[in-house]
Amino acid sequence: MIGCYDFCGHYEWTFEWLRQQGGHELVKAYWDEAIHHDSQRHAIELIVGKGFEGMKEYWGPTLEDEGAVYDRTVTDDVFRIDMHECPSKGFLIRNGLKQYSDYCDHCMGWIGPLMKQAGFVIDHEHNHCGQCWWELRRVGDQTAASKTGELSGDQDVRLRDDWQRPNTDHYEQATDPDDKSTLP
Amino acid sequence: MIDEPPAPSPLPYTDTKPHGHADFYFATNATFRFIINHLGYEKLKQYWSDIGTSYYKPVSERWRLGGLAAVADYWRAFFAAEPGADVAVTALADEVRLEVKTCPLIKHLRDNSREIVPCFCQHCYFVSEAMAAPAGMTVRISGGDGSCTQRFVLRSRNEPVQQLSDIREATS
Repeated sequence: MIGCYDFCGHYEWTFEWLRQQGGHELVKAYWDEAIHHDSQRHAIELIVGKGFEGMKEYWGPTLEDEGAVYDRTVTDDVFRIDMHECPSKGFLIRNGLKQYSDYCDHCMGWIGPLMKQAGFVIDHEHNHCGQCWWELRRVGDQTAASKTGELSGDQDVRLRDDWQRPNTDHYEQATDPDDKSTLP
Repeated sequence: MIDEPPAPSPLPYTDTKPHGHADFYFATNATFRFIINHLGYEKLKQYWSDIGTSYYKPVSERWRLGGLAAVADYWRAFFAAEPGADVAVTALADEVRLEVKTCPLIKHLRDNSREIVPCFCQHCYFVSEAMAAPAGMTVRISGGDGSCTQRFVLRSRNEPVQQLSDIREATS
């Protein structure tokens, strides 16, 4: 049986298997169709239906169950997550598992299309080491991503000594996993 | 007094928490559906065999070195980490038998009204067979759709070939 205890391991392995079968476009289709529209359809119901409140209801229990160490900041206009210990990437690092080029892309791969459907855009950055931050705002809100510490204070993951190691992938007002730039 | 180091886990990949997150079962079911829809059933069988051969290679190696005792140790640790599993693992002289009374995967999918891929239960055969073969073992499965019997035996026993018709289709 394929279990859930080591799910992140065979999930990451599957990305590379799919890439070898059908290239990058098949992997993107997998994140959108299989994860966004099928596996995580309960997230669609909550977030499309309730916006920021739905995000709280979805990510609260989910990240708790997965064992994440994170901080959440919510205002009337933005939903921010500072991920200090990603349980998923952490599992891969601890077990020395790496088949696919950038595992972290899978989050934008399914959350991006979901937010597009729900009417939100994403500012996001991940450092490939289990830390990242997200800011979700309504489409049409041109507010730039917050400066370090501005929204989440001393919980801002960018304040960590180990944040930049050695580079980060960055998204601005995005909903597509390919819309990223790499910052030195 | 010197503390004894903890015994190594029978599982090749370990987490900091004792159990997995059951909602990941949704993704496993969705993955099978995606592969069938985009690549077809034959490719899905290849996916199952490839994951058994590649991702689970460390398990095969432990089974090759440890024999049937290692098989029993693995499945006991495996099902202890799967939420909702009710499985008896019995090590007999010449086989390891899993009596799956409650399959945690099927149960969680049903409890959450998820449409289950009909050939879902076949994955246990194709994945486990790919894990067992390099260790000189083979697996036979009967039942399915929430409960089944899985027997791991030495290939030298020349078991009759697995009939896929012995594995029931999964119902939602």
